[in-house]
Amino acid sequence: MGAKIIINKAGFHLFYLAAIIFLSGCHAYVLDDAQHDLRSSFISGDYQESSKLLQELEQKEIYKSKDAVLKNLEAGLIHHFAGNFDSSSIFFDNAEILIDDAYTKSISRGFKAMLVNDNTLVYDGEPYEDIYLNAFKSLNYVHQNDWEGALVETRRMAFKMEQLDIRLKGLAEAFAREDTTGRVKWESGKVNIQNSAFSHYLAAILYAKTGKPDDSRIEFEKLAIALREQEKINKRSPAKITDLEKIRNPHSYNVLITAFSGQAPIKKQEDFRLWLNGENDNSFYVKFSLSKIDLYRSRVQNIRIVNDSLQRSDLELIEEMDVVSAEVYKAKIPIIYTRSLLRATIKATGSSYLASSVRDKNKGMGLLVDVLGILGQESSEKADLRGWQTMPGKAWMNVINLPTGINEIEIQYLSASGSILYSEKRTIEITEQTKLGLIESIYSY
Amino acid sequence: MKYAILSTLLFGLLISGCRPTNKINRINPSETTDLSGRWNDTDARMVSEEMISDALTKPWLNQHNRQHQQSPVVIVGNVRNESMEHIDTEVITKEMERAFVNSGSVNVVASSDERQDIRQERLEQQEFASLETMKEMARELGADFMLIGNISSVVDETPDRRTLAVFYTVNLELVNVETNQKVWIGNKKIKKLIERRNYRG
Repeated sequence: MGAKIIINKAGFHLFYLAAIIFLSGCHAYVLDDAQHDLRSSFISGDYQESSKLLQELEQKEIYKSKDAVLKNLEAGLIHHFAGNFDSSSIFFDNAEILIDDAYTKSISRGFKAMLVNDNTLVYDGEPYEDIYLNAFKSLNYVHQNDWEGALVETRRMAFKMEQLDIRLKGLAEAFAREDTTGRVKWESGKVNIQNSAFSHYLAAILYAKTGKPDDSRIEFEKLAIALREQEKINKRSPAKITDLEKIRNPHSYNVLITAFSGQAPIKKQEDFRLWLNGENDNSFYVKFSLSKIDLYRSRVQNIRIVNDSLQRSDLELIEEMDVVSAEVYKAKIPIIYTRSLLRATIKATGSSYLASSVRDKNKGMGLLVDVLGILGQESSEKADLRGWQTMPGKAWMNVINLPTGINEIEIQYLSASGSILYSEKRTIEITEQTKLGLIESIYSY
Repeated sequence: MKYAILSTLLFGLLISGCRPTNKINRINPSETTDLSGRWNDTDARMVSEEMISDALTKPWLNQHNRQHQQSPVVIVGNVRNESMEHIDTEVITKEMERAFVNSGSVNVVASSDERQDIRQERLEQQEFASLETMKEMARELGADFMLIGNISSVVDETPDRRTLAVFYTVNLELVNVETNQKVWIGNKKIKKLIERRNYRG
């Protein structure tokens, strides 16, 4: 009788813990939906509405403190395209500081993630998100005519890109140090890019315009290297360096046009379920969820600008941010997979051990614990699909020379067949003092 | 039930972590406060102090006084930030201006940004101020030297990003406006080793 009471207590507590874990797993799905809604709102181009939606999600505590990096990244970009450059830089600053803080914490926070899943952890930003936030910060500074500030951001971007490979290897080494199970080998993939064409393109222009031709030349040479690196991983050919020579001559242009197309890569969940044979004819259930990254297929194949006098020129595809992001993510995949596998194995082994102990005393109760174990794994095992939803997919740039006065520029987003998918007109005032005007545009489809 | 409460508490602790509370203390501005490891007021003060004492004791000042029988006039030009942080270089140049003016040995004139408002004011005085108080045009003091410079940094970090070494170099130069001759070059190096800790798991 006494034994029966103990088993009932154990069953009750297991059920209770499973319920709590199940409920905690729910939030991750709510956040996934919120991310989807925010992406849809942003691509519609109504940035006031997107800003409102983000505030609502924050008020409803869907973005919790652990998701602060995400919230700041989204707010940074929404404010950037809404023209609130000061606010945008503040949000991106916050995101950058939080990423820095979270990175060092992330290594020694394994235990909590082993109990539930990565969604319960502080989101420390993907390495590519950490890099591209500086791209938009640098544009914020250019909009505000603070070129020194913009150059600080391009330098940060270049530094982070150069450090990527070392950083991912460092992450794998740190996890290996923390992992006391000794069951798995921690390693990262190789990152095949070390230069950002976007940062070097912008820096070459800014140095040229600030009377530092030598620095501009160095940035231009790095741009050539970056384009060669990207050519190896890109889906299509990036700009040819010979077509970009113009940026080194600061007197040949007074306006920089930057356009963004497409969307950030989409993280998706892949579930794997296995029945494995353990000791004493006991089979146990393992579920693990992995996140994979899918590229958004933009219909935009070319971007053209048409000025007042109907002169046309194409923008150059400078950086396929989405492809670079996928490449960087690919290098992190071995770490993500190892973590998921290790977590699933620990959970499955734990629940199987518990079920077998209970089964020895009460077969029926053992079966119940088995079922609870499966339910617990099903509800708690979820891939971390958090990511910067509003980040654009591709960056296109070019420089042009406009006459003094008010100029109207039409930016046309073209399909593979050359038909106009979307166009928008922008006006810019050029005075004798204008050294570098910036026109920015985005079409997310 | 006791176990249920304990389980909830344990789970709550895992999820929530610790919440910070705000506590504010007024401290001496000259006290060193290194919080994030980034460039801060202490670095700016260290640079200013060294640059000021160096600039005011080097031969250029006596040479100018001997040659011209009057104190030199300095204008602050552009001190470029070529580092990887957003550094307000005006904090350093303002400190230098203050030290120059207060020393009585160096005259300082308004920088190109500052003088726009002053020129506008003088222009308006020609129309609106009384004759007795109106200031004359074309009486500005021409600068003998311009203060220019740059701040650059080199960053090195361990793969796990827990240890970061930042090396700042600040160069300031006084250039003769007439001859382009550099009469003084000041240099200050600051090296910081930043150990990042985990705040919570």
